[in-house]
Amino acid sequence: MNSCTDCLSRNTCASADKPMENYIRSLPLETAHHRVATQETKCGFGLTGVCCRLCANGPCRITPDAPRGICGASADTIVARNFLRAVAAGSGCYIHVVENTARQLKNTGLHKDKIRSEKALNHLAEIFGVTGTDKYDLCVKVADAVLSDLYRPEYEQMELVEKLAYAPRVKKWKELGIMPGGAKGEVFNNIVKTSTNLSSDPVEMLVSCLRLGVSTGLYGLQLTNLLNDVVLGDPEIRPAPVGMNVIDPDYINILITGHQHSLFTYIQDRLLDADVVEKAKAAGAKGFKLVGCTCVGQDLQLRGAHYTEIFDGHAGNNYISEAVLSCGAIDAVLSEFNCTLPGIETICDELKIKQICLDVVAKKANAEYIPFNYETRQADGDRIIDEIIAAYKARRGNVPMNLFTDHGNKNTLTGVSEGSLKAFLGGSWKPLIDLIVKGKIKGLAGVVGCSSVAYGHDTLTAELTKELIAKDILVLTAGCSSGGLENIGLMTPEAAELAGPNLKAVCKELGIPPVLNFGPCLAIGRLEIVATEIAEELGVDLPQLPLVLSAAQWLEEQALADGAFALALGLPLHLGVPPFITGSKLVTKVLTEDMVGLTGGRVIVDGNGKSAANTLEAIIEEKRKALNI
Amino acid sequence: MKRIFIDPAKCDGCKNCTLACMASHQDMTPRKGTLAEIRQAMYALDLTDPAAQSRNRIISDGRGGYSPIFCRHCDIPDCAGACMSGALEKNMETGLVEYNGDKCAACYMCVMNCRYGVPAVTPDRKRMVKCDFCQHLEEGPACVRACPKKAIEVREV
Repeated sequence: MNSCTDCLSRNTCASADKPMENYIRSLPLETAHHRVATQETKCGFGLTGVCCRLCANGPCRITPDAPRGICGASADTIVARNFLRAVAAGSGCYIHVVENTARQLKNTGLHKDKIRSEKALNHLAEIFGVTGTDKYDLCVKVADAVLSDLYRPEYEQMELVEKLAYAPRVKKWKELGIMPGGAKGEVFNNIVKTSTNLSSDPVEMLVSCLRLGVSTGLYGLQLTNLLNDVVLGDPEIRPAPVGMNVIDPDYINILITGHQHSLFTYIQDRLLDADVVEKAKAAGAKGFKLVGCTCVGQDLQLRGAHYTEIFDGHAGNNYISEAVLSCGAIDAVLSEFNCTLPGIETICDELKIKQICLDVVAKKANAEYIPFNYETRQADGDRIIDEIIAAYKARRGNVPMNLFTDHGNKNTLTGVSEGSLKAFLGGSWKPLIDLIVKGKIKGLAGVVGCSSVAYGHDTLTAELTKELIAKDILVLTAGCSSGGLENIGLMTPEAAELAGPNLKAVCKELGIPPVLNFGPCLAIGRLEIVATEIAEELGVDLPQLPLVLSAAQWLEEQALADGAFALALGLPLHLGVPPFITGSKLVTKVLTEDMVGLTGGRVIVDGNGKSAANTLEAIIEEKRKALNI
Repeated sequence: MKRIFIDPAKCDGCKNCTLACMASHQDMTPRKGTLAEIRQAMYALDLTDPAAQSRNRIISDGRGGYSPIFCRHCDIPDCAGACMSGALEKNMETGLVEYNGDKCAACYMCVMNCRYGVPAVTPDRKRMVKCDFCQHLEEGPACVRACPKKAIEVREV
């Protein structure tokens, strides 16, 4: 790569994080923020979802002169098929994550390894109704209950669904015929459905999206969190530093990216062992530090209380990773899943940063692939450590440093989960419910999901969040939205000043920010547990709650699978851009209107933060009225 | 005076110009004509409505390439020359061949006479449509803005 700054487009995209926007614009390396301009022209057929390339007759595109593809597929069929394919792929991603997480728990039990939360283990055992001879046996039993469900055929219903989900929802799902079979089988079956000249029924395909949403949400999201709690420790509420200031150049720094936190358990403990620290010292560093990026960093931050020594803090979300690497003080990238952008590769090459990948599904082109294998983790771990030390020695002093030490803040409130929040409230949801009933908090909004750059980095997420808190709506975040919002200070107690008068008073009294940080996108599952427990305490169903969701800057297919879960739960879901569906009147109508009559949920598309916040506020007020509060 | 120039060698037949033209001429008409506005208008398009007509089109050249068919606003326009009702007229100031639907008798002599095959019949067969150079957009023709290959461009003549 050429490091001549004049050769690069200086036209980077806007970011909600202005210091970061300026930093990226000044970089001598190309990032996604630079490439937005060169990809500004979007294909209209792709945007509206009516491009089909499922067979050699294609690509076919729908226009008034060509209302059907060569095979005869209508716009409705093409759009629904593309959409289901995306939801199925997204579901596959999360199911892969929960599968590895359960395998990790099982191996922990089989090898009698460290269990950080017996409380979390017993909680799961209680939900599942399993018992064990000791805690290790219980790990195996709990993990097996999850794995056997995932591996069931598609025509056999998964057993844990009814144990995990809220009873009124299960009743609704049975009525709609969306109780999922084996989660992997569901992905497989629905991919088949979307292949050439198979299903052409748009309504059936949309219903299948809901079924995938249920398996994704309960297993991929909720269970991944709960299984990880056992091995990695329960989240604890605490202030932590965020942003690029967390990077300490005196250490050998490893940037971790991905979604499968449990794959790092071994190595993150090993990095603190005296013999490994000695190796680092011999190389000229004080020791090792992990720097968080993407959801796995967000997850480590959530459990930061257990990892104060090894974890320096979360630097930022997926679209900050290129900037973080550009600072020069990162010596290696350890990745195991998305959102590891291909864009980091050229930067790693230029700055001699070692890339190691632990899971082949996220194999980066120039990364060394060292598959995570429980049996050989010790030898593999030492090999990884030696390679990283070698990279440190080869690069330090030979690559330019471009630190950004005043980026971010030091007192972002982290570690919020369904458990830690309830404990903070005194062991019951009643204080929160009382605040909602009294109108001190108008309602709850989950601002979740990804970060994207095509229409501004975190700009809509930030604008919407600021609008919502100004309306006394408490915002809960999970996903890369957290990474963006924490770096701009919305999760510091001082952000209370930006909230409406009622919410501000609540925040000041409790010493909390108006935006609560649940961490990674996986924790969308935690938000949904919070919602379910509140609904249970009130004796109402989920769609009745003054609760809205927004995946304002949804990016990936995974986000669409999450979104399908939100719809299955009956929640209103705001999106900043349509998920490539507007070319079909039928699909658009089902998702944005008819869904209310099916599950109670619906999709709201609005790229404007102000008007989206108004719409969401109106929904919350409508629901308050219906509950007589 | 401005004209749209075409480089067929650069065209890969994506038809984004066609969609941009449809988006520019629907009810929710963009005003400035930025890419962001054109994108929003594309979301609102009804792609199965025959009335959402494009004023340009892309056809295969029969040799593996594409021929973008755009109005050239000819110096001596066949369409205006053939128009008996005076609905089509060459504006000598802007150089554009303009259409006034109120005067149109729907005789379709324009459709038959244009050597490039640009003028088209509306679905109700009461009018014709042709390129109006997106005079309602500050940033000029939507098709040119939307072309990812720069196969069409506006040049001063």
